[in-house]
Amino acid sequence: MSSGPSRDGILLSLYRNRALVGMLVARELKARYRGTFLGYLWSLLNPLLLLGIYTVVFTYVIPARAASPFPYPLLLFSGLLPWLFGSGALLDAAIVLPDNGPLLRKVVCPPEVFPAVTVLSHLVHHLLALPILLAGIAVAAAMGLARFPWTVVLLPFALLVWVTAVGGLALAVASLAVHFRDLKDLLHNLLNLFFFATPIIYTLDQIHVPLLRRAILANPVTPLIQVYRDVVLLGELPSLLTWGWAVGVALVCWTFGAWTFSRLRETIAETV
Amino acid sequence: MNGAPAIRLTGVSKNYPSLTRRGRLHSLKGALLHGELWRAQQEQQGFLALSGVDVEVPPGETFAVIGPNGSGKSTLLKLVAGILRPTTGTVDVAGRVTALIELGAGFHPEISGRDNAIINGMMLGLSRAEVTNLLPEIVAFSGIEPFIDEPVKTYSSGMYVRLGFSVAVAAEPDVLVVDEILAVGDEAFAHRCLDRIAQLQRRGTAILLVSHDLGLVEQLAQRALYLKGGVPVLTGSAGAAVARYRSDVASDEAGDTKAGGTARRWGNGAVALESVELVDAAGRPLRLLSSGEPAALRIAYSVRIPQEDFVFGVAINREDGAHVFGTNTDLDGWRPERLAGDGHLALEFPRLELAPGRYVVDAAVHAKNGLAYDYACEVLSFTVTAPVGWPGTYAPRHGWRLHGPEMAPPSG
Repeated sequence: MSSGPSRDGILLSLYRNRALVGMLVARELKARYRGTFLGYLWSLLNPLLLLGIYTVVFTYVIPARAASPFPYPLLLFSGLLPWLFGSGALLDAAIVLPDNGPLLRKVVCPPEVFPAVTVLSHLVHHLLALPILLAGIAVAAAMGLARFPWTVVLLPFALLVWVTAVGGLALAVASLAVHFRDLKDLLHNLLNLFFFATPIIYTLDQIHVPLLRRAILANPVTPLIQVYRDVVLLGELPSLLTWGWAVGVALVCWTFGAWTFSRLRETIAETV
Repeated sequence: MNGAPAIRLTGVSKNYPSLTRRGRLHSLKGALLHGELWRAQQEQQGFLALSGVDVEVPPGETFAVIGPNGSGKSTLLKLVAGILRPTTGTVDVAGRVTALIELGAGFHPEISGRDNAIINGMMLGLSRAEVTNLLPEIVAFSGIEPFIDEPVKTYSSGMYVRLGFSVAVAAEPDVLVVDEILAVGDEAFAHRCLDRIAQLQRRGTAILLVSHDLGLVEQLAQRALYLKGGVPVLTGSAGAAVARYRSDVASDEAGDTKAGGTARRWGNGAVALESVELVDAAGRPLRLLSSGEPAALRIAYSVRIPQEDFVFGVAINREDGAHVFGTNTDLDGWRPERLAGDGHLALEFPRLELAPGRYVVDAAVHAKNGLAYDYACEVLSFTVTAPVGWPGTYAPRHGWRLHGPEMAPPSG
């Protein structure tokens, strides 16, 4: 038998098992809406309803002024979508290995498949929600509120960077959570902290306290969300520095995650 | 039966780390910083589930692992399946392994039986296309065709297990690891499972089987390993390993002093087998005989403690452990009355119609419940010759009568 991917690398193992990963992602999606009346429509409806609520609340209840020509609900939504994708994937990654314990203990199955499936199925939900965001932006553009951001063609790159970072962290979280169950609760609170420390519900331009601004800029999640929002909504080309920083953060996350996972890989089956 | 073994375990031990909080954190730190994966802590803590196991299973052989609960059988299986890694020693497995450890493990309750079968098959190492091709066969074998597109949560436990078994055996593995699951489904399905196992045996699949059903072990396996407390007690013919295990269980129940002995011979010594010989019609010892000649197995014994409950038995096995013939005085209807003093008895064969080859004999004297007074494995070996190298183990007198084919008769 092969000695497994500890030597070959996680990525190669995932590539070799791509058909299985694909099937498992399809299984997640099928199982998720099985028995519901609206089925896959929920993937569209959920973000649509969310956008609707934000629009009502931030237009009529607490009128918020955005620092961009776009209405605030769209600004919020364009930061919230990638964030929900990332945080959802990480929270699921913390329980995915124990959840698939029977498979790991009873069937010969490469464990790296499961965090990958978690991230990819969240990615699919994200991709299903994207049209709602784009439609919202198109409506705003049609109403003459702003130009349609043609930089959106760069979105695949911004998304790739984000997926790399989330994927790496998911690997780390999944393998560490097997040994350290407290990680799940810790993660919950960390995500809360980062949610407010990252320009999601606000933009960087609105922060005028220099120290605070510097802290937010130092937050490694900031450039990842920034490049995403810049290309999808604001129609700005992020500076090379921002891109570089975002790519750097993503690579560090991936390397750390893959390293941690391969280090702990052999202990997973007997600990879950 | 030649070439590399399908399964080879050399000096295998397995230590489970203790799962105390401190132990976990320590090992986590060790694993991350030094890549140690538990090893540093193993000396002080943990549970030694298996130690010093050497096993070789050639392709096509069925090898059983027996022993009481907690003796390390399942750990051994998981090591062979590649689910666990040995703490020391090496595990080599040639070809595709399929583990039947828990049937339908990982079926997702919300999706259909068909989709679950596909995913299960892919986890067993089949490609998408292979599973798709095998699917009709899998569905037909499981016998749940009308429900195959229903979500698995609506299945009965029997249907669940049947689908799991069907997927696992459809993969036509080189090595099949089976944990106590052949008693699944109803009578008809259990028969089909056994048929399928026999088919795999003929195909050359090496099967590693764990079961508490000792009858099934004797029926399916050629050789067996008897484990106790993680330590191998005996590796030998399935009959001998089962007999040893039964004897230990019986002596434990009787609260007897531990039956002493070695891997090849054991018993409590109340009666001892002095000699076991194969003799010809004139009573002369033989090591070589031609197929179909009369012969007898003569057993001489001495008695230390007189007994009223005793059975004499013999088993003839092929060298590879395959069971050829066995009987005992109880099976043949002799009721024990008294055994005191020394004596001998003989099991006579007017014609010993064995195929040519080497055979080994186990002989035993034991109580009816299996408690061994003296059990000797491979106490005698002999060789059968024949003018023709007939395969198999049984060589009855036979001849051809032709009505039609024009053939020259054998010369001489």
